[in-house]
Order: sequence, then structure tokens, then C-alpha cells
Amino acid sequence: MGKAERRESREFYMLTFPWLVVFLLMSLYPMLYGLYLSFTNFAGFNYENVRYVGLRNYNNVFLDSDAMFALGRSFYIGSLNVLFSTVFGFLIAVLLNNKFKAIGFFRSLYYLPAILPITAVGLMWKQLFATNGVLNDFLSWIGFQPINWLGYDHAAMSLLILLSWGCGGGIIIYLAGLKGISPELYEAAAIDGAGAFRRFRLITIPLMTPVIFFNLVFGIIGSLQIFAQATLLSSNGGLMGVPIRPIYLYLVHTFQQIFMFQRYAYGLALLWVLFIITILLTLIVFGTSRLWVHYESGERKGG
Amino acid sequence: MTQHLATRFTLYGVLLALALVFSFPLYWMAANSLQPLFTGMTWFPERPTLANYRLAFTLQPYWMFFRNSCLLALISVGIPIITSFFSAFAFARLKARFKGVLFMVILATMMIPPTVTQIPQLVLFKQYGLLGTYWPWIISGLGGSPFIIFLYRQFFMNVPRELDEAARIDGCSTFAIIWRIYMPISIPVVATAAIMSFNASWGGDYLAPFMFLQERQYPLSTQLMQVGYILPSSPNVDLFQVKQAALLVFVLPILVVFLFGQRFLISGIMTGSIKS
Repeated sequence: MGKAERRESREFYMLTFPWLVVFLLMSLYPMLYGLYLSFTNFAGFNYENVRYVGLRNYNNVFLDSDAMFALGRSFYIGSLNVLFSTVFGFLIAVLLNNKFKAIGFFRSLYYLPAILPITAVGLMWKQLFATNGVLNDFLSWIGFQPINWLGYDHAAMSLLILLSWGCGGGIIIYLAGLKGISPELYEAAAIDGAGAFRRFRLITIPLMTPVIFFNLVFGIIGSLQIFAQATLLSSNGGLMGVPIRPIYLYLVHTFQQIFMFQRYAYGLALLWVLFIITILLTLIVFGTSRLWVHYESGERKGG
Repeated sequence: MTQHLATRFTLYGVLLALALVFSFPLYWMAANSLQPLFTGMTWFPERPTLANYRLAFTLQPYWMFFRNSCLLALISVGIPIITSFFSAFAFARLKARFKGVLFMVILATMMIPPTVTQIPQLVLFKQYGLLGTYWPWIISGLGGSPFIIFLYRQFFMNVPRELDEAARIDGCSTFAIIWRIYMPISIPVVATAAIMSFNASWGGDYLAPFMFLQERQYPLSTQLMQVGYILPSSPNVDLFQVKQAALLVFVLPILVVFLFGQRFLISGIMTGSIKS
């Protein structure tokens, strides 16, 4: 190693030192500490007699029928949310990729819901979903029976509507990807006699797979973390509200265990189970990406 | 030709319908915040009044929560947009052993669900007496934010290397290069980082304050989730129009920042996804 290289290396570590220290103290250490606590009987106050209990908490996660039920709901609502936000986001981006007047205005308007605070979005939609709310006004206006949007039969659908309403972040990302596709490809295909739908299927979709892949990875991670949107739709509301069964999500159950019942160690075991599931899902998506994500030759983009 | 016109007409119809879907809830919130009390929900306020806004500020110490939101945003925006500079420069420009590994760590931290660290943080902060203080936000800010480090790094990678080589020949130290060359040309990407972290703090940071702060320190994002607006004399009466007014004032800063800064916001989202 030359002298200049050693100096460069030293400077690198000097400049990244604050980040490294804060990462070790504020991220890595708490994470591992949490992992350790999940193998103990810690209940939020018994610092003096924290005892190792082996896999008991993890065993309880899989015996806890509420946790398993909530995990199922999180998978169900999470996968539908990923599906809807991918399809809507992608199709709206394709629509916005046409030449229109005032396209920038529409793009901004579609993106706006994605940056509104969850607090406002949740409470706003709760009012829209009310039995005497706007959605039922609209339904009766076009001649349908009103729906109990937040009741047992429709709560999951209502939550999905709320979540899909914020698909604007995906729109922007897909739009950027679409703008990167060279127009010559479409022109060449059109000369060869490919119709609009064929061009879409054989050019647009394959070239967009790296972007779809990126959104899929973050969509899965984010969807399993959905929490406040569900508690805000519950009848008692608030951050610690208990939603009805169809939208009783895994993190809701976890926070109930921790903040309402002081079951810290058990709650941490619940969190680590979810974390490991998230990692496994991400690895599966990464692992299968070779089969369906199209990379331009020689150049690896996305992710 | 007529076929073509019909297609365009349909497409505009779809665009407008979607515009309505995406903007209506916000319009509806604004409309009802102007509706007189005890009148039920409306599509259009026929006798608009600002009384709800006055009540939103007086029935709760709204200004106190608003100031708390401002303080948290100031810490969560102001510190990391500066501190992230140094790590980002190092990752973009300097060679070192284990740099690749450390960069993978930065990418990985962006993907870790925050709750996995936040709950044990609560336990640790309690032991070290950090609850009820802003230290958790200040300390994590001092390390820079992984996302901003990533954003800056992508920007720095596109700066021509000749610029710092020329400065080095002129005898500039690394710190001087960062300070005199990189900081001035980075204003657009700093604006992007500032806007994105403002949105994340103002609207997205509700769980950490709930866990780490006392109730009178809550920002609006936490506080407005917790309680409704009720009539002091009869707590069963839910003053729903007042709540809409309170929410509208709460989202106003987000809307203003969006109006003036959306160019930066959109470039930031694209950097985060495409150019990696």
C-alpha cells in the first residue's frame, strides 16, 4: 500500500467515523440487545432479574393463535397491497407517459396523497368511510345500497383502498423508468408491424422489470410493517386502538403485547419473527430475480 | 382521425377521473373544516365559517404541539443534511479497505424495519435517562442518515473528478475540497434531502415521539392521532369539523413545501430507485 493510499484510507475512516459510531450505538447494538431480550423474561421493569428462558418466547409466537391469525392478515393485506400499488402505479405511469397538456399538474396531483401524513390520511378516510359518510352518499346517488365500510365484511377492502390511494411514490419511480426507454425501440417495433399491445408486452414490461423489482422489494418490506393505518380505522382510534379482526395486523398485535401488556420479551420475539420472514421474502425475490428481471447486456441496473 | 380523437378524449377522461379520486379527500376535509358545528358532513359548505379553526387552537394547546413538531423537524432535517456530507464524500471519492462492506451496511440499514431497533432503543434510553429528551434524535442525526448519505453519494459520483484533482494540486486538504467545492455545488441535492427528511419527520415520525417523549412534547403527528376534539362540557360530543380544521393546519406545511419543492422531491425519489 502506497503512502497516498494509506492517507486516503485514513481520511475515509475519519470522515465516516461519526456514522460508524452512531450506527454501532444506535442501530446495531439495540438490534442485538433486542435479540438478546427476546430470549429472556424481560417485562419492561425487571432489570435486576432478567433471566434467560431459551426459545420459550419464540415457541409462544407460534402457539399464540392471535399472532398467527394477525400474521395471516398481514400477509393477505400486504400481498394485495403490493399487487394493487404495483398494478395501479404502473398503469397510471404508462398513462402519464403520453403527451398531454398539463401533464406535470396531473403528476403532482397523483403524487400528493403519497406525501400526506399517515395521521391525516387515516383520520380523513375514517370519516369518508363512515356509515353516513361521502362514499355511502355516492353509492346511494348512483343507486346502490350503502355499505358498512368499516364493518366486518368490508374493513379489509377499505384499508386496501386507503393504502392504494397513496400509490403516488410508485408512479414517479415507474414514470422515470418509462422515460428511460429509448423511443427508437418502439419505432423499430412499429415498423416491424407490432401493435400497441404487443409493444407494451414485449418492450415496456421487460425493460421495466428492474424498476418493478425495486418496488416489489420495498413494497414487501413496507407492507408487512403496516400498522397505524389499521389502528386509525378502529372504532376507538388512536395509535393503540384495536382494529376489528379483518384488519388486526401483525404489528398491531405486537404493539398491543408491548405497550398494553408490558410483554417486552415476547413482543421482541414477535418482531424478530417478522424481521426474519421479511429477510427470507427479500432473499426469495432477489433469488428469483434472475428468472424474470431483464438487465440490459453488460450493464446491471436497479435494486 | 376520428378514432384518434376518441382515444385522446377517453384518456383525458381517465386522467380527470383519477385527478378527482386523488384530490377529493383533501377537498372534502377542507370543505368540512369550514362547515358550522353540529351540522353533519357536507359536500360543499354553504355558510362557511372559520370558527372551527379558532376552536382547534383553543380547545387544545395546539401551538405547543405545533412548536414541538417544528423543533423535531428542525433537528431531524438540520443535523443530518450537514453531517451526511462527510460520509457521502468518503464513499463517493476515497479508496479504503472494507469500503464495499460498509456501503452494503448503509444499504442494509435502509431496509431494516425501524421497529426492530426502536423497541430495544426504548429500553436502553430508559436505562440511560434519555426518555423525555431530544437526544435520541440529535445523536442519530450526528451520524447522518443512511438515505441522505446514499443520495449525496449518487450526486457526488457524477461530479467530474478533475475538479478535486485540480484543487489537490493547488494544495487543498480533503476538508477544504468538501467545504469549498462540494458544498456549493450540492445545493439542489441538499434541497432534495431537506424536503424528504422534512416530510418524513413532520408526518412520518409519530411512533418514536410516542415512545420516547412526554405527552406535552408530542408533535402534531402523534398528538392528533391520540385524541379527538370534544366539547369541554360534554365529552361525548365529537367536534368533527374542528378535527378537520386541526388536520388541515397540520398538513399545510407539507402542502406548501410540496408546492415549492416538488422538483427536488421527485428527483430524490428517482435517485433512490433508478440510478443505483
